[in-house]
Amino acid sequence: MTVTEALKVIRAAPGSATEYHVLLACGFTPLHLQTFLTAHLQEHLPTRKVQTSVGLFGNLAGTLESAAKSDPHAIAIALEWADLDPRLGYRSAGAVTPSVVPDLVDQARAMLDRIAAAVEGLPAGIRVAISLPSLPLPPFFHAAGTQESQAELLLERDLMEFASRCAARAAVVNRRRLGDESPCAARHDLKSELLAGLPYTTVFADALANALARLLTPAIPKKGLVTDLDNTLWRGIVGEVGPAEVSWDLAGHSQIHCLYQKLLASLAEEGVLIGVASKNDPEVVSRTFERPDLLLSADRIFPIEAHWGAKSGSIRRILDTWNIAADSVVFVDDSPMELAEAVEANPGLEGALFPADDYEAGFRMLRRLRDLFGKERLSKDDAIRLESIRRTSVVRENLKGGQLSEAFLAGADALITANFTDADNPRALELVNKTNQFNLNGRRFLEADWRRTVARPESILMTVAYRDKFGPLGTIAVIEGTRGEDALDVSVWVMSCRAFSRRIEHQCLRLLFDTFSPSVIRFDFAPTPRNHPAREFFASLTGAAPEGPFALERARFEEVCPPLYHKVEILKESEVYG
Amino acid sequence: MDNLSGRLARCFETVFPDLPESEIQTASQQSLSTWDSVAAITLANVIEDEFAFQLDFEDLADLDSFERIHTYLAERLPPNQN
Repeated sequence: MTVTEALKVIRAAPGSATEYHVLLACGFTPLHLQTFLTAHLQEHLPTRKVQTSVGLFGNLAGTLESAAKSDPHAIAIALEWADLDPRLGYRSAGAVTPSVVPDLVDQARAMLDRIAAAVEGLPAGIRVAISLPSLPLPPFFHAAGTQESQAELLLERDLMEFASRCAARAAVVNRRRLGDESPCAARHDLKSELLAGLPYTTVFADALANALARLLTPAIPKKGLVTDLDNTLWRGIVGEVGPAEVSWDLAGHSQIHCLYQKLLASLAEEGVLIGVASKNDPEVVSRTFERPDLLLSADRIFPIEAHWGAKSGSIRRILDTWNIAADSVVFVDDSPMELAEAVEANPGLEGALFPADDYEAGFRMLRRLRDLFGKERLSKDDAIRLESIRRTSVVRENLKGGQLSEAFLAGADALITANFTDADNPRALELVNKTNQFNLNGRRFLEADWRRTVARPESILMTVAYRDKFGPLGTIAVIEGTRGEDALDVSVWVMSCRAFSRRIEHQCLRLLFDTFSPSVIRFDFAPTPRNHPAREFFASLTGAAPEGPFALERARFEEVCPPLYHKVEILKESEVYG
Repeated sequence: MDNLSGRLARCFETVFPDLPESEIQTASQQSLSTWDSVAAITLANVIEDEFAFQLDFEDLADLDSFERIHTYLAERLPPNQN
């Protein structure tokens, strides 16, 4: 992006849109770093009007310590060496002689501690991204430039400790990836730094702003990966050579398949759903998955569609089993034709070609998959996702006419845990932002907006976890709304598709009526292309599918609510909810 | 308006969107309150984008009006860019 393009992006922002306020914290004059950051954020948030403010020149720590006063949605921190001690920059006259180096290292460490404490003290609702020093240290240390001096290594060590500490609260720009996109030699503009105060070349200011913007507005990770087998999960055609002869190792010149299996094993453990769509003999596939040296064990894969039918049909059935939309899934195959057929038949599905004989392309594909599935943090819900999908498929086998029998429901030993004190649970926002089918209105939230919403005094937030004799489903529903005199207004209600058919949605309403005692609950419903399960549920309560906001009287709910067999556990703050 | 003036005027429009078109060619740091040091460097960057030409930071202090920038560019740009 050029400065001119950035200015045009900023100018095209919708003037009447809700403001998204970002504080750019840096010790230097931000100039076009600010312009680029605003523009990249504006591109990521087209329905908002991004406003970027800047902090105090030469006082990064002070800027962060007073940041909460301006109540920004987000803070981008561009840290440079001079912020740790002015002597580490180019604009200071302070000498860096061998005798002052120990003091310089101590000062830098103390400043890192101060900045880390300021980051940790920021209110939870403010999203924070940090870039670590990206410019070279000035050549004032004793060693030749080809050698690391001890002082430089000590500074790096302290910087890494700082970054590790900050990573618990903030997103830290990956310096290695930034280096791929913007080589070190093309970053520093000494003339600009000395004459104008901005140390970055225009090209690097753009790259760094883009990296910070991406961390402030992260993409929603994909949920599932469907993989082909032959020449993808392993090298060789198993139906021709047999299970013992397919390979994924150095000896077989097939290590790229080993790396792919390692990545899939990691993804599976992180809660990504892994399925197989392969044109193969199912019995041969089954025997291959018995090989003990497979890095991705068969119990991590569900379902496996191995037969001679079209892969598009296999993927459709896998999506049905997972009960997620095609645009949450990536399909990996070594055949461009198979990929095209599957992608065309499943709109939204993302195809990734497995380039078995092109090592560089293979590495790029692995990185692309990591980016598509990357999560900032893992939760305990991630770990139980696959098992809960398997259990859900057992439950779905018991469906008759879309309903579970009374005997099945009564014998499920279901326990619902309603938590009214869960505002800090990141799973709540994650569920709100990724649920499509049982979703009241499809509304999505930025982290800062969500925090502000649930922090309002009149706001109520209920998260719902579920377990039954088949095992836990984890946190599967979120309801947010506001309490009025005799009514409850529900603005957000999402429920995982894994929780369908168990009358959890009825129990949610029962909990709201019993906890807050409203005579009516008003729902801010809006139809979306995908929320017909929610719409059908509401139709079952009111007698007509809603087209927009509607209300449900308590008396009506009592009339239509079917028997509920769950045990219920409630976690709430008595002082808040009485 | 010559080709150079037209292109330079577009740069001014990009950096100073509130400046009326009729006032662009007479604009100067004295007459335009939004022409501060940040705007001066932004304008320099936009001119660099437009003309694929590197301005010298040390010259920025003297480039304080449309007319002066026009003269500066006319002296340095290749003839086919004028």
